[in-house]
Amino acid sequence: MRTSELRGDSGFTRIARRPTDCKDLTIATTTTQGVDGTAAEVGDATPTPKTSRRPHRPLVRADDDAVLGGVCAGVARRFGLPVRPVRVLAIVSIAPAAIGLLAYTACWAVVPRDGEDKSVASRVLSDRRELQIVLAVSTVMLAVLITLVAIGVQGPGAFAWPLLLSSAGVLCVWRGASIDERERLQARLNTSPLVGAATATSWRTVLLRACIGGALVVVGAALLSKIGELRGAAVGVMIGIVSVTAGFLMMFAPWWLRTLRDLSNERRQRVRAQERADVAAHLHDSVLQTLLLIQKSATQPAEVVRLARNQERELRHWLFDPPYRHVHADGADSFAAVASDIERDVEEDYGIGVELIVVGDCGLDDALRALLAAGREAAVNAAKWSGTTSISIFAEVEPETVSLFVRDVGVGFDPEAVGDDHKGIAHSIVERMARHGGRATIRSAADAGTEVELVMARATTP
Amino acid sequence: MTAPGSPSVFLVDDHALIRSGIRAEIAESVHIVGEADEVDAAIELICERRPDVVLLDVHMPHGGGLAVLEAVTRACPATRVLVLSVSDAAEDVIALIRAGARGYVTKNISGPDLVEAVQRVAEGDAVFSPRLAGFVLDAYASGATQVDDELHQLTPRERQVLRYIARGYAYKEIARELGISIKTVESHVSSVLRKLQLSNRHQLTSWANERRLI
Repeated sequence: MRTSELRGDSGFTRIARRPTDCKDLTIATTTTQGVDGTAAEVGDATPTPKTSRRPHRPLVRADDDAVLGGVCAGVARRFGLPVRPVRVLAIVSIAPAAIGLLAYTACWAVVPRDGEDKSVASRVLSDRRELQIVLAVSTVMLAVLITLVAIGVQGPGAFAWPLLLSSAGVLCVWRGASIDERERLQARLNTSPLVGAATATSWRTVLLRACIGGALVVVGAALLSKIGELRGAAVGVMIGIVSVTAGFLMMFAPWWLRTLRDLSNERRQRVRAQERADVAAHLHDSVLQTLLLIQKSATQPAEVVRLARNQERELRHWLFDPPYRHVHADGADSFAAVASDIERDVEEDYGIGVELIVVGDCGLDDALRALLAAGREAAVNAAKWSGTTSISIFAEVEPETVSLFVRDVGVGFDPEAVGDDHKGIAHSIVERMARHGGRATIRSAADAGTEVELVMARATTP
Repeated sequence: MTAPGSPSVFLVDDHALIRSGIRAEIAESVHIVGEADEVDAAIELICERRPDVVLLDVHMPHGGGLAVLEAVTRACPATRVLVLSVSDAAEDVIALIRAGARGYVTKNISGPDLVEAVQRVAEGDAVFSPRLAGFVLDAYASGATQVDDELHQLTPRERQVLRYIARGYAYKEIARELGISIKTVESHVSSVLRKLQLSNRHQLTSWANERRLI
């Protein structure tokens, strides 16, 4: 039941059904193998010999106890320290040339958040568009800094470079944070004083913001008006411009933020509407047709059951099954995909229910194709002869072996005594498995059902 | 018409047809004390009537089965919840099991099987459908449940029991195959459930999401 069977004739393509995750989805698809690989490595590396007493925990940013990025809480947790001193230390270390700030943003960008397997930086790096945005803005900031230095402004001094780098880091975080983290940051921003766009309607905040903004504008204007009277007037000009800009920003930021948010809400709603239209199209295409067919064949109970079951399976695949099970890396069908074909074919051809459970998945080679062919034979056999309404297929892909069980609780037979069709088919299953170095065991007893167990060693262990 | 000592059951499902269908199938063997079609009413009635078992649907408006499950687990911990759903989505199954459900069966379960499942849950044991067993095996095999200590890993015997469930064996048949008592099978399944509830939330969630999204 792992693969999704879409109707080939409907020309309908499946879309990601979680609109907010669309971006993550595209990133994830390109690096599936890498994520799995690294996750495994991290897992293997956990018990380092260095700290034999305490199990080694990788440094992750805290997600529950975070003020900004959860770096301090994460560090404190990793080294078993109380959180507060770590935070104080981080703030104090801003003073000597903004080292703390730089270290903080660097950690924010590079260290993954608790529960996420990719860091902000790796997310930005793997998305060309985000990378371009970060690079572009960073270059603009660099240009501004160089201009300032060129015209002899010593204002930022030793802080200039760390500030530039940390701004780039913050930008990186803003573009590359996961949906989860971004929502948390936005909530934090909305409740913070001055910026809080969500609370912009309260009179006190509006008044406070207007006062500070107004004061900055006045100071800026006053400084600008003195150009030429004093030496080093350029400094005044710069400070003036910055003050004016800051003043305007402070006055208009909330409206600006709100507009941005409205835009993104609007986009989200559009995606949602699109998704709804797709679902409706799918329902119309297949479910309504099936209902029509059911009405037409109301006099044939078996046909009604068959139609209902087919539709149920199709809808279920469409709703719950991940599309990636369809094909394996090189475009060929994967083990689970073929197993799901067996499920579909047997259900359709014999009108009985098949419960298919597949654990794990892998690519196919000749031996595994033989295993699946034998499994199909066993399932068809069970469907034809068992006399029950449903059979179970369980397949498990393990590192060394692949096993497949086909079971029914039907009439059964005595494997030793019977020399009829059952035995012929049983023989062909056993022989097919033996040819490829596998093993087939058939357990059956009269009135106790039948189970066929197929085991095949995997040729190459990845 | 119900036998004395049969468990009291409360139905929560937003589809009236499904509720009446379930009612028809199990009313003779268990004592149905009420039903609800929305989250708030369900929580209120369950806490008032204190049934042994709640049969809970996953997908409902306003928070769904998860909201009911969380409220009930908090307010009346003696009531046990068996999830009965059409959903096969890994994230639904795992989320509800982790939130404290004692089992998960799909709606195509037969009447007698459902009654047996209800009785098992009422006695404090866990009920795994073949699909849930498959999910658990998959989650553990993919390393999604890596935890710091060995305690939370599945034992070989638990794995074996899960495999039998996934192969479609009933508890009774598993007990016969392994030469152990049904009680022992039940305790293995309960222990798997407990480990699942204790293991790392993030890793399980990302396993479930990967199954769906990649």
